[in-house]
Amino acid sequence: MKQMRCLRILIIALSFFSCKKEATRWQTDWLLPVLNDTLSLAHLYNDSTLVTSNNQIDINLSRTLLDLSLSDIVKIPDTAITQQYQSNFTVNNVTPGFVFVNNVKVHELDLGDIQLKKVRVLSGQIQLKVYNPLNTGVMYQIELPGVSKNGQVFIQNYTVPPGTVQHPTVATENINLSGYDIDLSGQQGLEFNQLQSKLTLKTDPSGETVSIYNNQVFKFEASFKNLRFDYAKGYFGSALIAGQEQFTLPYLDKITSGNIALPDLSLDLQIENGFKMALRTQIESLNATNTQGQAISLSAPSIGPSMYLAPAVGTWNSLQPSTLTLHFDQNNSNIKSYLENLGAFQQVSYQLQANPWGNTAAGHDEAFAHSRLRLKVSAQMPMALSADGLTLQDTFALNLKQDLSKSHITGATVVLNATNAFPLACDLVLYFMKDGQILHTVVADAQLASALMGQIDPADGLLKKKSKIQIVLPPALVADIQDLNEIAVTATFATTDPNTGLAVQQHIQANAFLALQLQLQLQTQIRP
Amino acid sequence: MRKLLFLLLVGLQSVYAQQTLLLDTYGSYNSTGVRRQVADAFFYGGLIDTSQINRSLANLNQRNTFGLQMGLNAQWQTPWLVSKDSKKWGSSFRWVLGAGFYQYAGLQFSKDLFGLVFRGGLPYAGDTLDLSNLRAEAAIFSKIGFGIFNPETKSSFLLHLVSVQQQLGASIQKGTWLQDQSTAQIDLALNGKAAIIASAAKTFGVALDIDYRFGASDSTDNQQQFQLLIQNLGVARSAQTTTYQLDGALAYGGYSLAAWQQTSLEELTSGFLDSLGYQQSVGPSWVLLPAQIRLSKTLAWDSPQRLEAYYGAQFMLRQTYTPLIYAGAQLKVKKAWHTGLGMAYGGFGGLRLQAYSAFRFKRSELLLRSDNIALQNGASLYLQFRCDF
Repeated sequence: MKQMRCLRILIIALSFFSCKKEATRWQTDWLLPVLNDTLSLAHLYNDSTLVTSNNQIDINLSRTLLDLSLSDIVKIPDTAITQQYQSNFTVNNVTPGFVFVNNVKVHELDLGDIQLKKVRVLSGQIQLKVYNPLNTGVMYQIELPGVSKNGQVFIQNYTVPPGTVQHPTVATENINLSGYDIDLSGQQGLEFNQLQSKLTLKTDPSGETVSIYNNQVFKFEASFKNLRFDYAKGYFGSALIAGQEQFTLPYLDKITSGNIALPDLSLDLQIENGFKMALRTQIESLNATNTQGQAISLSAPSIGPSMYLAPAVGTWNSLQPSTLTLHFDQNNSNIKSYLENLGAFQQVSYQLQANPWGNTAAGHDEAFAHSRLRLKVSAQMPMALSADGLTLQDTFALNLKQDLSKSHITGATVVLNATNAFPLACDLVLYFMKDGQILHTVVADAQLASALMGQIDPADGLLKKKSKIQIVLPPALVADIQDLNEIAVTATFATTDPNTGLAVQQHIQANAFLALQLQLQLQTQIRP
Repeated sequence: MRKLLFLLLVGLQSVYAQQTLLLDTYGSYNSTGVRRQVADAFFYGGLIDTSQINRSLANLNQRNTFGLQMGLNAQWQTPWLVSKDSKKWGSSFRWVLGAGFYQYAGLQFSKDLFGLVFRGGLPYAGDTLDLSNLRAEAAIFSKIGFGIFNPETKSSFLLHLVSVQQQLGASIQKGTWLQDQSTAQIDLALNGKAAIIASAAKTFGVALDIDYRFGASDSTDNQQQFQLLIQNLGVARSAQTTTYQLDGALAYGGYSLAAWQQTSLEELTSGFLDSLGYQQSVGPSWVLLPAQIRLSKTLAWDSPQRLEAYYGAQFMLRQTYTPLIYAGAQLKVKKAWHTGLGMAYGGFGGLRLQAYSAFRFKRSELLLRSDNIALQNGASLYLQFRCDF
């Protein structure tokens, strides 16, 4: 009994160490700075030149759509030439130091309709490989008579140790050809695409007296690899370069609805021929497609027909490309409609053909290191626009996981403090989605006000307006946050005149900016 | 723990000589200002109501304390003499076996830190919060050992082998938090360190328990008898203590768009820690156990006085513990029922009401005590049981 009583008391004592039944938790409120940045036009168009003019901004948009160099036009594919010597009969008692081969061989390069007379190597290499089947050392001298650098002809000497017919000794070397001139005009200087080689063989002067048999093949292989040129002369052929270039204009691909009106503007398409050869060019079409799938083609007299460019003039430092500029404005094209279609996806189709009339220059086409075939588009316009419900939408992946059994967020408010010096007002809507299906839509409680609603700041002379926008994320959304995987942000812009309430064309102030401070107000449930 | 109880019960059933089982269990938590409901939520679970947090905040001073002590201590005073030779000193002593499990947690904190943790940063936007003088100490350990005791004087001496399951020592000497009201920029400056021993660190040591009775040899007369009780006086050696240090300042006002696009969250976090001078190292260390030293007047069942005063003082080798003093009066209600009422001050809280009742049965004694019967900013319950068989 006594022991049982002690045991009962023990059990009562242990009951003081009771188990926790429910999670400890409390609510806290936090303010978290997220974004602090000032956006200027430099952030939006970093590939364009902004010119300030009369306290307004002009955009000098310039894009190079095509840029071909000499290496793109004139190419020598990786080529291997071989020269070998094989005696027709057995030669006995060949004494040390005996020269038994001294031949020149001409190699024809297959370059299609291109007929080159001279090139200079910008980069590339040659791999030389020599084989010695003789049972004494042989001195190989390999000379490429048309290949020289600073007046010195390309000559390489090798002493190759003894070998056998079955297992000739092989010596290999890679030589950088950068800076070498290659004369392809043959021995008489009247040919083209011809490469010469000269092989001289001599037995080792300190070797033994040997015999040369008719089954011994002495040879060398020269492999030209990755040759690129910075000078070429000859006939560059009349190959047709046809293509389609596509490019995207920034931010236009985010526009989902609305209209924009642009000021009168013009657009230039420039073809530049930096080669001393005739060139035919043809702009077949210029199309733009917006995010709604509406496409428009640029219509102008210069779109479609072939045009011809004269050869460039001058030489190395005095080279003057010939250029052809196609100008499009309201008087000769539908350029305004074309650009106001807000086509983010631009496509240009073209043809370029060298020597359209054949080898009329008698093989005197010439190209230099800085010779280029270029297709450029350029436009200069005042940075002014009229927007009416212009809507940009972008979708971002969302990956916010939280475990509701641990500390987690129960509510959130996005607070945006902005100072706007652009004449654009903006309404924000957020769509929270799961697998493309919108589950929650959140609308900002206020508009990001246009600078037109503000006052001139004497500090910098800019018209600017401050706004504070709150976007309250409801508890139901926060509870679902771990299930959501996409967020679409929609921003609707308008250049509304504060007096008339109508969308009017507004110029962008010089040095205009949008200063943003984004904060998150979080209600959290802490569960230690 | 189950094994320990099993051993004790086996001992109870197998030994029939004069022997004694002593059980001493307690649980106590208290604060100088934090309301009990806040602490209760940590023990029993549940939502800490905002009103309780606000009322606690209203009670807090610039420096505050919260602490927790829980423990179970068992002794089996065996019938076996240390020496059967009556001429030797050991003949006055018997062997005693002891075991225990303890948990200690102490926290010194500023009012601002409490507010930041329990309300968040938003209510304090624009205010500079003082996070300095934070100190946190915690230990969980168990022990088992043996020793000797004198049945006449009740004095005892035990040597224990200690296993430390967890140990924390952390402090922030200097810390400030300022969040700008308009920009939300957070300026945080911290100078502090922490040392943590996890349960897997295999930390072992030794500790002494000393119960020394002195004063009148017979408490039945009017002279007073005192008890000096020292528990868990010892050290442990940890092979793997993780030490963290912070000494730096951070100013975070959000990032630019480019930074968000180019930098991962891990890199941003790493940048924060670099700004705060974060350093981490792992190495061996010594741990001083939270020893408890109590000096008190003892009360005897056989005292002829019906009303008798009691008093005492208690210290702990911890910086987060304020010395505790208590005093009161005991009333002999019946021969087998004594009860007392008094006041206690210190430890982890302020002045509070203390009461106890002790019951004596034929071969056992039971004492129930609370150092905070009004449940003011905490709770306290002690249970002591003695069984002779």
